[in-house]
Amino acid sequence: MNDFVAGDLTLAVNAARRDAIELTWLGRSNDRNPDKLLTPYWDAALVEAAERRVPIELHFQKLQHFNSSTITVIIQFIQEARRRGAHLVVFYDQALKWQKLSFDAMRVFVKDELFQLRSV
Amino acid sequence: MQPFQFSIDLPVLNHWRNVDLLLTSVQNCFIAVFSDVDGCNAIAMVTGELVENAVKYGYWNGDDKHFRLRINGRRGSVTIQVENPVDPRDPQIHTLEATLRWIAGFPNTETAYRAKMLEIASQPGISSGFGLVRCAYEGSSILRAEIIEGNALRVVAEMTF
Repeated sequence: MNDFVAGDLTLAVNAARRDAIELTWLGRSNDRNPDKLLTPYWDAALVEAAERRVPIELHFQKLQHFNSSTITVIIQFIQEARRRGAHLVVFYDQALKWQKLSFDAMRVFVKDELFQLRSV
Repeated sequence: MQPFQFSIDLPVLNHWRNVDLLLTSVQNCFIAVFSDVDGCNAIAMVTGELVENAVKYGYWNGDDKHFRLRINGRRGSVTIQVENPVDPRDPQIHTLEATLRWIAGFPNTETAYRAKMLEIASQPGISSGFGLVRCAYEGSSILRAEIIEGNALRVVAEMTF
């Protein structure tokens, strides 16, 4: 996969990882319609994860800000990943209060091993 | 010595790029005022969500292309107001009022936030009001909305920290 770059947001791929698709969120996710930008990229990530039989890791620790529309897209991605049987792991920085509040609440989606939340 | 109080009052063009410009400006201003970075992030987030709603749902077919952002407060409390022109027949106004009532119907804002997340997961594509629920929970703000002179909507978030 290639990096995703749109406006103030970058999702950087760690090409060194063979055991996972590691996407690090950088910058600010402030687009009016983030679903239109992110959904095609995440579709490609889900296809590649299925082909390589590896989990997808989303690393938010370095992200500066996301708007509520972005959270909505992340929730829908969690659902889509589960629907396709993909393993998804979300990492966040619990020392940042805004990240702790946003991601702790996503524990409502932790039902089995397919979706995991890890605070660092 | 002047009492510790502050006020920001700006007419802002309804351009989407102004959402993040205001959010980062407010964040930087308040970091310069307070030492509580988490509190400043919360003020900025609430400002951003309310401004997003003004740009998205304001009535912009008239001559006035501005909304108004006011932030004022004193030590330990901040009030954020965003006022934009509206078409009083716009059903979005009722949706906003319904969302505020929906939030108030929960024992606490965290429960409302989690319920809204589950709703988004089960009903993709709906207009969710998630930004307001986020203001209430993550921003620990008390929200209200009022129609001004029949053609403007003012949304107010009161925060204490």
